[in-house]
Amino acid sequence: MPLAMPAAKVLRVSPKWLLLLGLLASCSSTNSNAPVNLNAGLPVGAVLSLTGNANVYGQDQRLGLELAQAAFKPGSSMPLNLIIEDGGSDEAGAINAFNLLINQGTTALIGPTLSQQAFAASPIAQRRGVPVLAPSNTATGIPEIGSFISRVSAQSSVIAPLSINKVMQLDPAIKRVAVFYANDDAYSTSETTIFQKAIKAKGLNTVTVQRTQLNDQDFLNQITSALRAKPDLVVLSLQAVDGGNLIRQLRELGFKGKIVVGNGMNTPNIYPICQRFCDGILIAQAYSPELKTKENQAFVATHKAQQGGRVPAQLTAQAYTAYQVIAEAAQRLNKREPLKGMPLRQARLLLNKEILSGTYNTPLGKISFSRDGEVKQESFYVAEVQMNPDGQTGRFALLK
Amino acid sequence: MEVWLQLLVNGISIGAVYALFALGYTLVFSVLGVINFAHGAVFTCGAYFTYIFLGGVVGSNGLLAAQKLPVTFPLAIALVLAGLTAAMVGLLVETVAFKPLRRRGAEPLLYLITSLGAGVIIVNLIQLLMGAEAYALPSNILGSMPAVLALGHGLQIRTVQLLLLLVGGVTMLILNIWLNQSLSGKALQAVAEDATTARLLGINSGAMIQLAFAIASFLAGLSGGLVALSVNIGGPYFGISYGLKGLGVLVLGGLGSVPGAMLGGLIIGITEAFVPAKLSAYKDAVAFAFLFLVLIIRPQGLFGKPPIEKV
Repeated sequence: MPLAMPAAKVLRVSPKWLLLLGLLASCSSTNSNAPVNLNAGLPVGAVLSLTGNANVYGQDQRLGLELAQAAFKPGSSMPLNLIIEDGGSDEAGAINAFNLLINQGTTALIGPTLSQQAFAASPIAQRRGVPVLAPSNTATGIPEIGSFISRVSAQSSVIAPLSINKVMQLDPAIKRVAVFYANDDAYSTSETTIFQKAIKAKGLNTVTVQRTQLNDQDFLNQITSALRAKPDLVVLSLQAVDGGNLIRQLRELGFKGKIVVGNGMNTPNIYPICQRFCDGILIAQAYSPELKTKENQAFVATHKAQQGGRVPAQLTAQAYTAYQVIAEAAQRLNKREPLKGMPLRQARLLLNKEILSGTYNTPLGKISFSRDGEVKQESFYVAEVQMNPDGQTGRFALLK
Repeated sequence: MEVWLQLLVNGISIGAVYALFALGYTLVFSVLGVINFAHGAVFTCGAYFTYIFLGGVVGSNGLLAAQKLPVTFPLAIALVLAGLTAAMVGLLVETVAFKPLRRRGAEPLLYLITSLGAGVIIVNLIQLLMGAEAYALPSNILGSMPAVLALGHGLQIRTVQLLLLLVGGVTMLILNIWLNQSLSGKALQAVAEDATTARLLGINSGAMIQLAFAIASFLAGLSGGLVALSVNIGGPYFGISYGLKGLGVLVLGGLGSVPGAMLGGLIIGITEAFVPAKLSAYKDAVAFAFLFLVLIIRPQGLFGKPPIEKV
């Protein structure tokens, strides 16, 4: 005899319980009509990928924020109280960190590290009216999330084609291109579309498109398939760890042609991953340590002094810039309309307007923002990775 | 034809890793009848231990930042040491997460929870000590050997893969001989067959269980080090995807079957390799779909025994 299935239970929640839950929820978050808590400075949160696959970016970014804190805090009439939270390397981590920081009464957020995370977490800040300044999201559509979302990281469509142009200058004989991208990552899928358009525009033949996943470690099958198509150039839109692994395996399996990589590999943290095989890869950048402005030279000097002579990475410069933009905007706003006693909701709204309306002299050069929060930047660069003989260290050498 | 052979080579080399990994699961399952979910974390430990024994410096984000061992070992010794250290971690897992429950005759489900907890603690401990950054073993670790070896007819194999295949194959062979021909191996099999009867015959089943954990963890540590040679260490969660794949292999081969784990690993590796390039990003899903198909035909797995219904 078959066992009788128990009748499905319907969860009935009395209105009293709902009210209690609502009260508890409101107790756990800061009342946005209460004044901004300025006890330790203007509260600003940062959500960085300090763990998980993207931690190699988070490390660069944390350094940039720490340098900016040291540079902008002393003597400021409205110092920032920076609270850094680990957003992991996935959407859930970023969402949790955003909620936590918003509930703690932060007036603005820097982050998250990955575009994939931004598409999940930034809409929360948008709904709560909290300005978000992204230091490293390059996928198409980030500022379009809403009026509170802006970025200092130029989008892929501006930068990525530069490296294709440069590689064609260096080797006009290139005809056949193999493309790799991670199909489970917003940054990768967005950037590869731009790369593929640029490749087509140059009259090159995309002989194969290979798809990977962010957590893949072994790429032998994709590489075997790509090498059969005999490409002259390989173009990667991958993150640092999987991209570094793929380059190593690609070179080991005998690929001798040029390699162009996207912004995901724009960190010196790739050196220990692909080691000597990183040598010669081309990358377009939104930052050059060689930019001859007063702000950049000061930034580079401080970085070198702290980091044993190493020049800053793009992500470090962009995180520094994000902090600088908020610090300067807060300063200006406080001068015009004192933040002391201002309701949190109003402070967030005014700070967002101030961020978007200003012009800033930063390590990236002079920047400002379009109405929808897209960064307006003057200079971009293409660099080639040159590894040192130890195979563990190297540099991004600017290509003129 | 060349391409098919190349894919077969690729599949066998990654399949050997899966097989080596799944053998660890199998050994513990055969004596305890439960899956040790901390196995993936022990595999990760093996990768990190190999890095340390090869003279690697700890990165900047862990408690051990910038530390390194005063001595550097050659690759072969580093791998063995990593395996042995991983075996100690495995024994610790057994002592903390399994032994107390075994003494109380706890439900098998509880072992899953405690082993999962032990795995999470190990991974977090790695993160605390070593930081979350990626580590890479030196790319010139094989000295003057070429990075790729030509096998003729256009076939080629990465030297580290060949090494992985050889070490994996030899280890599995030794394990098989030991299990079937040595007294202790037979004692382990007796415990796996029926622990109570084995105890009545004078076999120390507690010691055999510890031996199974030590060998399983040694294999996990060794394979962790070998895989790190090939693909670098992506962070403390390095072993998770291999852990999932190992579970698939365990089920495909038949729970508790050593030959099943070996063959299952190779089958999963080869299945992945033959996933068409356009679907290569979905190779995990394809491999598991294949596993489902096999299980529909043989629910007990390739070498598993069908359950005997006692009346």
